[in-house]
Amino acid sequence: MNVNLKQLAYRWITAESKNVNITDEYYCQMQDIFEAKNNKMLDILLRCGINENKAYLILAVVGEIGNNSFDHNLGNWPDIMGIFFGYKIKNKKVKIILADRGRGILTTLKQVIPNLKNDQEALEIAFTKKISGRAFENRGNGLKFVKQNIECKKLHLEFQSGKAKIEINSKMKISLADDFINGCLAILTI
Amino acid sequence: MIIYLKKFGDKLMSRSTGREAFLAMSAYLIKDLKKTELIEIDFEGVKVLTPSWADEVITKLIEKFKNIKLVNTDNVTVQATFKILKEYSNLKEIL
Repeated sequence: MNVNLKQLAYRWITAESKNVNITDEYYCQMQDIFEAKNNKMLDILLRCGINENKAYLILAVVGEIGNNSFDHNLGNWPDIMGIFFGYKIKNKKVKIILADRGRGILTTLKQVIPNLKNDQEALEIAFTKKISGRAFENRGNGLKFVKQNIECKKLHLEFQSGKAKIEINSKMKISLADDFINGCLAILTI
Repeated sequence: MIIYLKKFGDKLMSRSTGREAFLAMSAYLIKDLKKTELIEIDFEGVKVLTPSWADEVITKLIEKFKNIKLVNTDNVTVQATFKILKEYSNLKEIL
């Protein structure tokens, strides 16, 4: 079956809470389910001929994005907890999609930077500055790690939260998104 | 004291598993050790390391002990994690 993962993820994060529906294949309600699926993806990447070092880096990048969703929404999910996690591998081309219906980057970072103006500014800070949405903790390196490795390995990431999106490959570009989403949507292409 | 990280798994990724690992270390491995004791952290067999896990374990060990040695750090994700921790977690001297 040829599933359009992006469309499926988008529908899942934009549906009204009473209409949210997704198969277990793509839904990770808890962090340990996500981690098990991410670990399984490593075996599949290697079996499909992806270079070992690249596969380890992909796993680390995906791990940071997915675990961020859980770490920053724990006990605070607006309605449906958990994340969407799906991937497709064809002829050594990989597309990985992660999405959550959480509070989004702006709301999270506003807890430590109350004067943040908008989603674009929040995304820029999340990917480039040393800051964490969970105050008093030594954390907040995850998305910088994601950016560094995407740029270094010439991968491609499109990440949207609220009304802003960031695109990273060899350079980083932040712009207004066409539509608004509450949580986060990440599309990683290799 | 040598800490073999592979005994905590070959994919060291989330904060929650890192926190558990540090609690286990604190209870069994590094309990009663002096701050000046040489702590060797061995990365052999680690396939994937992330800054989240490392922040909960490596950063805390470096803060707790003065004499830390990191060995078998060739893995690409270990190197990428060190690069980020150097830049953002003030661990330049050791990493």
